[in-house]
Amino acid sequence: MLEVSNIDVFYGKIQALWGVSLRVDQEEIVALIGANGAGKTTLLNTIGGSLRPASGNVMFLGKKIAGLALPAIVESGIAHIPEGGKPFPDMSVRENLEMGAYPYRAWTRKEETLKQVYHIFPRLRERERQLARTLSGGEKQMLAMGRGLMSKPRLCLFDEPSYGLAPIILLELFRVIKSLREQGLTVFLIEQNVRHSLEIADRAYVMENGRITSEGKSKELLQNDHIKKAYLGL
Amino acid sequence: MIVEILDIVIAGLLLGGLYALIAMGLSLQYGVARVLNISHGEFIMLGALGAWFLFGFGVNPLVSLAICGPVTFIIGFLLYRTVFTRLRTSSASIGAYEGSSMLASFGLLFIIQSIALIAWGSGIKGYTYLAFPVNVGGALFAANRLVALAFAVFLGLVFYFFLVRTRLGKAIRAAAQDPATAGLMGVNINQVLALCFGLGAMMAGFAGLLISICYPVNTTMGLEYTIITIIVVVLGGLGSIPGSFIGGFILGLIGSIVTYLEPGLSLAAYYVLFMLLLLVRPTGILGK
Repeated sequence: MLEVSNIDVFYGKIQALWGVSLRVDQEEIVALIGANGAGKTTLLNTIGGSLRPASGNVMFLGKKIAGLALPAIVESGIAHIPEGGKPFPDMSVRENLEMGAYPYRAWTRKEETLKQVYHIFPRLRERERQLARTLSGGEKQMLAMGRGLMSKPRLCLFDEPSYGLAPIILLELFRVIKSLREQGLTVFLIEQNVRHSLEIADRAYVMENGRITSEGKSKELLQNDHIKKAYLGL
Repeated sequence: MIVEILDIVIAGLLLGGLYALIAMGLSLQYGVARVLNISHGEFIMLGALGAWFLFGFGVNPLVSLAICGPVTFIIGFLLYRTVFTRLRTSSASIGAYEGSSMLASFGLLFIIQSIALIAWGSGIKGYTYLAFPVNVGGALFAANRLVALAFAVFLGLVFYFFLVRTRLGKAIRAAAQDPATAGLMGVNINQVLALCFGLGAMMAGFAGLLISICYPVNTTMGLEYTIITIIVVVLGGLGSIPGSFIGGFILGLIGSIVTYLEPGLSLAAYYVLFMLLLLVRPTGILGK
């Protein structure tokens, strides 16, 4: 479904990603784990269209998307849920969700999608009229996820969904991410919280200093000595 | 006494309605497109002179609204796409962009004004439209002023509902709050910013046209209105559209009271208010 092949990405003259390749199949949950500054967000921004690779290719549903403008990438069915959620602070919860349905193909069906999102996150329905700035950290993340789903995506990109959340809310949100697959969605998430992301992901890639250093089934990576030492503190 | 108060209040509302419309336009240009547009008054002048010019061909000023509005919108939109989009992408930071875009708008002021001077000269221009008096609770007003107030309030409200209710209006507000995240929603940011600049120019054009119905106009009228607009926008709270609407009416009322007491002092009173505001509450009425 998503295929990244051999991309290099630069910030000015500084190279941030070196020949990165990875693949995400239909209805799979794939995690990219790594330390702060490893280049995970850079990769996500490149797939999502905010950055352009200097070389290499990104294919989505058989079409080249590297170098396309952001609106075209969103229109093609990719939802990007940024780190910290970043809801629009001075808009109500409902307006934030409506903004998620901005692509034309989603806008016409937004009432129906809104019902589904409220079904997944009843808390958002309760807070429908509240301004997003008044929500708690967990609610903001829920709102961002709901807003992403409003665009009727095929693929969801999550940037650090666990960022700054209390453990109990984190578990709830990860359960939701896992359940997205049952609705035919594919998930690619980047995380520093290695244990929790490996528990919900089918496969994972490990990124260090802008390169993919290992990959495999999540279960196998959880047993890997290097991963245990470097990321799980065992 | 009551008639005098009514006289002052209604005159203040008339002035305030025009200020509100102009300030909402600048608020959009500064609050979303991040251009503190010093040439805002020139679009007011274009609307005013455009209406006067068309009146010479027998076009009813209210019909001219439907011509001057779209024309000022297109000029604003194209200026943003050709000048400001380029400045934005080449600026290192949003602060640098605000500085360079303001300087560019200074240049636009002189360019637009000079072209208008060549085309129309510097003389004072006016025309007579709906000049008969109307009695409002004992105070007499020219009908054209009441029509101008009604249209200013109507256009202000239409614009407000456009921002609150429509898909595009929501995209504009989202882009004002967080342009990067609005981009992730699929909003074409360059397009939306140009749209905001164009809509701001259109509000100025509408206001200029309504001004020309009530007062004599000329090609160098713009700068004074730009200064008044900046005062209203700061009074209402930078970037707050409802703040600009309310601020416009407040300044209009103050202007009307001062004009009643001492006709020459209204602009001076605006400056005093502006300085006090910067000292006491620089964020304005609805600012954060």
